[in-house]
Amino acid sequence: MSGVLGLTSFPIEVQDLKYTYDGRKYAVDGISFSVREGEVFGMLGRNGAGKTTTIRILSTLLKRSSGSVRVLGMDPSTAGNRIRKRIGVVLQDESFDFTTVEKALDVYGFIWGVSKSERDKKRESLLNTFELTDVRKKRMWDLSGGQKRRVQVAREFMHDMDLLFLDEPTSGLDPIARRNILNMIKDLTKDGLSVLFTTHNLEEADYLCQRVAIMNNGKILASDTIDALKTGYNGLKTVEVKIGGDQAGAESMFSKVSSGRVEPPFESGLPYRIVTENTQETMQEIIKLAVTESVQIEWLNVRAVSLEDVFISTIAGGA
Amino acid sequence: MNILNSYRLMIRNVRVNTDPGTLVFLVLMPTIYLVFMGYMFGTLISQIPVGTTSINYKEFLSPGIAAFETATAGIVAGGLLWSDRRYGMFEQILSSPYTRAEYLFGILLTTLVFGFIGSGIMMLVSEAFLDYTAISLMGVGLIVVSISLGSLFFGCMFLAIAAKVKSNQAYNSLTILIIFLVDFASTVFYPITSATPEALKILFYVNPLTYIADVVRAGYISTVTTTNLVELLVTLIETVVMVAIAVLLYRKVRVGVT
Ligand SMILES: Nc1ncnc2c1ncn2[C@@H]1O[C@H](COP(=O)(O)OP(=O)(O)OP(=O)(O)O)[C@@H](O)[C@H]1O
Ligand SMILES: [Mg+2]
Repeated sequence: MSGVLGLTSFPIEVQDLKYTYDGRKYAVDGISFSVREGEVFGMLGRNGAGKTTTIRILSTLLKRSSGSVRVLGMDPSTAGNRIRKRIGVVLQDESFDFTTVEKALDVYGFIWGVSKSERDKKRESLLNTFELTDVRKKRMWDLSGGQKRRVQVAREFMHDMDLLFLDEPTSGLDPIARRNILNMIKDLTKDGLSVLFTTHNLEEADYLCQRVAIMNNGKILASDTIDALKTGYNGLKTVEVKIGGDQAGAESMFSKVSSGRVEPPFESGLPYRIVTENTQETMQEIIKLAVTESVQIEWLNVRAVSLEDVFISTIAGGA
Repeated sequence: MNILNSYRLMIRNVRVNTDPGTLVFLVLMPTIYLVFMGYMFGTLISQIPVGTTSINYKEFLSPGIAAFETATAGIVAGGLLWSDRRYGMFEQILSSPYTRAEYLFGILLTTLVFGFIGSGIMMLVSEAFLDYTAISLMGVGLIVVSISLGSLFFGCMFLAIAAKVKSNQAYNSLTILIIFLVDFASTVFYPITSATPEALKILFYVNPLTYIADVVRAGYISTVTTTNLVELLVTLIETVVMVAIAVLLYRKVRVGVT
């Protein structure tokens, strides 16, 4: 990575950015944020929040409707080509050439103007890092979904860059492949690479990102370091309660909990979560309620507040 | 626009397209036409008047098949836009250091390359069963110009379709339909005679492949008539119009700004 960013130490600066696809509804509705040099900035948000649209604008694929944007100190709507020379983009949608894995990597390096010897070197090391050596001769359309995704992510590292956009790079990857990629990105940021990253896996965001923005309906609801976002929950803990057997009485039982804020599960089978200051009191309350309401508790667990808890209550509060 | 970038994209286009499927399409199919029609009709048809002379059917067919390769090249190259859009590479390339114009120009270069490779191979293949006297320098010039115009015309035609059509089925059935129509409503396989029905004649004379086949043929036998020059001019005009249509439709393809 060259890491030379010219005058700015903010590779991405966005002020009041708006974008509409159809002229009626804003897919991105007035967001402001900035990404610092050498950091991984996470954009989190529900489906349709506007993350991919934002990445498309910053990577010069779409022209913003309004607001101001600086990428590597330049305006994407006028300096598109100069910006593109210095960024890498892994899009959310799959993309591949109809050829073998190793040729796909080589051709991609070629269109980036990387020399043959450099391409050979990079290709071998990426095939190793992304555990693709066994399938290197396979054609792209014969790969599994996760293998395809690995090639797509690996391919982007065939060239050098100062700023990298990763739109859900780990979707469809197994836990080990996922870890490998996250660690590789972590290493690269030490050399000055800046990364804008989206994911729906909040543990992953917690592991990788210094700062995150939580988006919903085109707006940023909260944006800060992960630690700062969690301090909103200072001294708070999460009590998880998994209901066994018949779930019928659960809803009415949890509506009576007064010692903390209850987050019902997204789907049945997952635990209820209670964010509370006093775990002792909450656990006693729940056990008492379970007896009187004759609800069966399968297990009960206390843990620190996670980014997922922050995410869920931010979205719930902002909706 | 940097022409070197388009050149680089052209190399990429050729590299990701030199799979067996494309080669069958580009070489095997026209060879089958050449061999079967050449031998079968060659025994039925004696001499065919062309320009100021007359030639046998194999001599008639060979330059026709070389011209036919421009349409095949057009399908391969124009279709790249479709598959790049469908399989995400269009967006990916436009987020790399390439402009939209460079991408388009890369496809036009690709259609020329495939046009020349395809017709060149077919000329060599036909050498195997024809005994031509050497083609004159002027003949070579005529062939090069008409193959270039033909490749550009068809490259742009299929690019325009690729810019419009979304579904796989629609694209495939449309290209097959068009390629059959273009190939058969032309003088690739047979000449237009006084017995040709008027309605078909119109179709033949609208189709640039008729003119390209005629001019390539004239180049082969090195006898150029003024009709051939008019045909070249019409091909040029049709090519310019088709390039304009393709550029207009390409500009409407969403994604990408500068
Ligand atoms: N090409 C398009 N044309 C019209 N509307 C679009 C288009 N792409 C996205 N949208 C709309 O814009 C909004 C934001 O979409 P976007 O893809 O940016 O969301 P996202 O945050 O990336 O979601 P996900 O997590 O599902 O990837 C959505 O309401 C979506 O329906
Ligand atoms: Mg998205």
